[in-house]
Amino acid sequence: MDLDYLLVLLLGSVTAAATLLIATVGLAVVYGLMGVVNLAHGEFLMFGAYTTLTVTRMGVPFVLAILVGVIITSLFGAIVEVLLIKPMYGRLLDTMLATWGLSLVLVQAAVLQFGTVTPGVGLPQWSISIGDFEMSTYLLLMVPAAAVIVAAIYLLFTRTSYGVMARASIQDRQMASAVGIETSWINTITFALGAGLAGLAGGLLLPAVPATPDMGLLFVIKAFLIVVSAGPAALSGTAATGGILASTTSVTANIWGSALGDLMFFVATIAILRLFPLGISHKWRIRL
Amino acid sequence: MFEITNATGGYEKTRIIEDASIKVDKGEVVALLGRNGVGKTTLFKYAMGLIDRENGSVSLGGKELPAATSRRVRAGLGYVPQGRFVFPRLTVSENIAAAAAANRHDRKKAVAQALEDFPLLKPKANTLAGKLSGGQQQVLAMARALATEPEVLLLDEPTEGIQPSIIDDIAGIIKTLNVERGISILVAEQDLEFCRAVAKRAYVMDRGQIVDEVSIEALLENEELVQRLLGV
Repeated sequence: MDLDYLLVLLLGSVTAAATLLIATVGLAVVYGLMGVVNLAHGEFLMFGAYTTLTVTRMGVPFVLAILVGVIITSLFGAIVEVLLIKPMYGRLLDTMLATWGLSLVLVQAAVLQFGTVTPGVGLPQWSISIGDFEMSTYLLLMVPAAAVIVAAIYLLFTRTSYGVMARASIQDRQMASAVGIETSWINTITFALGAGLAGLAGGLLLPAVPATPDMGLLFVIKAFLIVVSAGPAALSGTAATGGILASTTSVTANIWGSALGDLMFFVATIAILRLFPLGISHKWRIRL
Repeated sequence: MFEITNATGGYEKTRIIEDASIKVDKGEVVALLGRNGVGKTTLFKYAMGLIDRENGSVSLGGKELPAATSRRVRAGLGYVPQGRFVFPRLTVSENIAAAAAANRHDRKKAVAQALEDFPLLKPKANTLAGKLSGGQQQVLAMARALATEPEVLLLDEPTEGIQPSIIDDIAGIIKTLNVERGISILVAEQDLEFCRAVAKRAYVMDRGQIVDEVSIEALLENEELVQRLLGV
């Protein structure tokens, strides 16, 4: 193995981790923080991708289209929270069934509206050369994008009044209301934020992962496993487990093929949960 | 004046309290005495709007309080629950900041004030609340309730599971809050000596009802009554 190949392998791993983290961070908020098992989370990502795609086709610049996708997916998330999730807080199985139903509806709606195959927006053709190898600059940009998203979420939840009240509401809804927090509004906003982050992932990843009705499924299983393995420090735990699992998968896939890479993901998840049954961050003293 | 009138309610279809009425005058500290399971905590939850209400009302300064718990807090009702219930994965400072922010008070000022009022919390300001001892959590729960700037404070069994030295501190804090800040306090307790240290008047509760209103000194002199009402 020469140094160029090793560098490409390393960058590929980091990029894969960043991509998966972008797709997972919304679930870290909705499931990791709020404890809502939203089985339609992948479809929120798909919703964001199609919204971004549709807006792009209208002639809106891609970056602005992503922003529109985030806003519309957040609003859709807020509506879902008010109509579907709010009456079911504390009812895990009911929430799972209702959100599973929602995911089926969204997938079928996407099939009816867009068909099963949709032309993508095309990956920007910028690339960098490493020896004989070439890497997409757009995919490499996912690394700083993931870092910015995670840092922004961390600062939002630790440095702002909303963030502190949201974490209080999530930890003990009744006690939060007993110190004056409007938990109902806070929960709606937080769920909408999680949905918006899924929409952001759908938009950002659109050039690399074309919009299809079942694209959410590509990410949601891995995202759930990452957040479950993360434990109580939802954000930093997710960043850590996402990094470990995605890079393990990427390295394995690059050397032995994608099937073995996926197998490695699940084996590594089992290993993490065997070693840390309550999640990797169970004993961490970090807030988020 | 803080007033609970004919409180009747409980959990779903199980009625726990019935026709319970209590008055706390402005600037007064009143104890609510009773054995375990007589309904003291349920009455406090009723006052906070945290349980189903069948009948009765809660008023502050002559105005009936709204049904929503968060709006009751903003109207001036502070609450320290039995068992503290601090937010475990928020730091000490964040616990206080959350309460202040919810009531539209400056959270930085509120944290600074709380750390000055409760020096015990100062070295723990950035510690997760779930890592504190029981006594420290009790003090934090009081500091958090005070960050809402209440007119009336409901304290539910503040001495439960707390070491004696901290109990004396808590009694001192209650007296200071009452005298220096004019906060009216209703404290549910089983510890008569603690009640004597902080209150002059008490209601006695039994099987979901207020069965007596007594001066604490008179109660302490009547062993038979203490035995009958409190089982101690």
